[in-house]
Amino acid sequence: MPNALAGNYQSTVRKPDDFDAFWDAVLRQASGVALEPEVIPDPLRTSEDVEVFQVFYTSIDQVRVAAWYCRPARRAERTPAIMVLPGYQMDPPIPKEWARKGYVALSVAPRGKLRSNRQFNPGYPNLLTHNIVDRHTYAYRGFYVDTWRGIDFLLSRPEVDPARLGVTGSSQGGGLTITTAAMRSEVRAAAAGAPYLCGFTDAIELTHTYPYEEITDYLRLHPERRAAVEETLAYFDGICFADRIACPIIVNIGLQDNVCPPETGYALYGRIGAADKRLYPYDGHGHDAGRARHSAVVDQFFARHLLGREVSQ
Amino acid sequence: MIEPTPADIRAYWQETLAALAQYPARPEIELLPLRSTAFATLLGVRLTSLGPYRLFGYLSIPTGAGPFPAIYYPPKYQSVLEIIPQGTANLQRSRYVTFALAGRGQRHADSPYAAMFPGLLTEGIDHAAAYVFRGIVADSVRGLEYLVTRPEVDSARVVVAGNDLALITAALTPGATRVVTTPTLFYKTAALAPKTQAYPLEEINDYVRTYPERAAAVRRTLAYCDLLGFAPRVTAATTLLMAGAPGSLLDGGALQPLVAALRGPVTVYESQQSLYKDGLYAERWMAAQCDIADVQSILPEHWRD
Repeated sequence: MPNALAGNYQSTVRKPDDFDAFWDAVLRQASGVALEPEVIPDPLRTSEDVEVFQVFYTSIDQVRVAAWYCRPARRAERTPAIMVLPGYQMDPPIPKEWARKGYVALSVAPRGKLRSNRQFNPGYPNLLTHNIVDRHTYAYRGFYVDTWRGIDFLLSRPEVDPARLGVTGSSQGGGLTITTAAMRSEVRAAAAGAPYLCGFTDAIELTHTYPYEEITDYLRLHPERRAAVEETLAYFDGICFADRIACPIIVNIGLQDNVCPPETGYALYGRIGAADKRLYPYDGHGHDAGRARHSAVVDQFFARHLLGREVSQ
Repeated sequence: MIEPTPADIRAYWQETLAALAQYPARPEIELLPLRSTAFATLLGVRLTSLGPYRLFGYLSIPTGAGPFPAIYYPPKYQSVLEIIPQGTANLQRSRYVTFALAGRGQRHADSPYAAMFPGLLTEGIDHAAAYVFRGIVADSVRGLEYLVTRPEVDSARVVVAGNDLALITAALTPGATRVVTTPTLFYKTAALAPKTQAYPLEEINDYVRTYPERAAAVRRTLAYCDLLGFAPRVTAATTLLMAGAPGSLLDGGALQPLVAALRGPVTVYESQQSLYKDGLYAERWMAAQCDIADVQSILPEHWRD
């Protein structure tokens, strides 16, 4: 589709009638699981300006989830926090740069990622289609909850200001930013880049690149399961979560994105419920979604909403 | 401080290759129907490498009469093994044989050794003979050795595309006729790492900060892996050097000594900080080098004219 028309794209995603009831039930189940956080200093990664810890906590299905936790060596008694969410194939980064900007930062490795794959490990490729015919056991049910539990971890920390929590990520991290901002009202600001997991069934028609191609592969081998696949994906589509978002949010997309089609980014943005929202479309950019230019926008956005100050770009 | 190229660098790698040669590849091939299409068949390939250590790769063969040009994707610096790089049109597999290899420690090749990211870059780094990348380089060489034995591959059109390992592999074993390399890990590493706080080079900083008494040993080991030591041995017809954006740590200017050290023609492309522009350039370059005229048909939908 020509770039100029991407914004006019009509998504086929429809929110199931019992969407909220489904997720309320999942959250109820998750709330019965004790967090049991472990915070282990990592002297190898710690430097004069940033303290680094390996973190583990328990999520739904009793899966133990790993994360990196960084905090500025010099900080206020209560410090704003950012949760950083990972891309589909990337290994979760140590978020030192956020700590250097004055935030406590948590980088989550949801189930199946390195260090969180002892109990659940469908692999890559495969995660996207693991139990895709059943919303009650689909891979992303637990995966989403793992990220939302990251907010519980931050709230458990005495050095974190619970009134100043942000969430960010790109690609899958962008999609997880959407779902987290939607499901955790404690999030006060969100910045999502090139959001994946939004418009699944649109994307498999618009692009033929991995990771979405995993679904195409699956349906080629199991065409009779298409209805079940589409039914499941509707419960996990960021577009269906978007109307629950109330916090300030910015979204950046690349108009030549070959991984997460820009059409789905526009469709997502149109459904976001927050009054304070802004879309940054970058022409001439692919799945980077203009990151080199946009990182300053993200810095300024979080500084304004979490640090309470303006930062010049 | 830049460590000079070790006098025994050639011996170090010759011994590595000799040790690798003691282990036959013993390939095991398995059809993967889930990822096979009307235009390409996907195979899982297991190979033995130095150690001995069993590796895994995804080999994709186009439908139809070959031989076909080939792209070899040596191990990346991440835990995940991709069939083809994320964002590449699946139709790339209709025109090229592609082979993506997991080096030791990556998924599918993570038993008995599971690598950590970050962490892999400094695994055994204070002792050159035990440095994990000695084995990973051997893995990468083994992968290319295997690929060129495939009858579907046109041996005159074999591209090795990846990070530093693409250049290193092309230097150590014959078979690569074109190289696309994005230096990331092993170009003047000891000197450049202190100038950044970004991973993966920050791993070196973390390690040296924690073990300052090992700094000299780290520099010595890194010198065995430096691209400058390999560049004169690359026999590919031409090389595409993907540099960082102007002003970045590994921009075109910083890589000039590497350009000078390479024997054949070199095209230097400086990143435009756009995965679209950078990716499109590389795709078109490879297609032109492999005499694929209708590159449009194998580009991602959002990259086509």
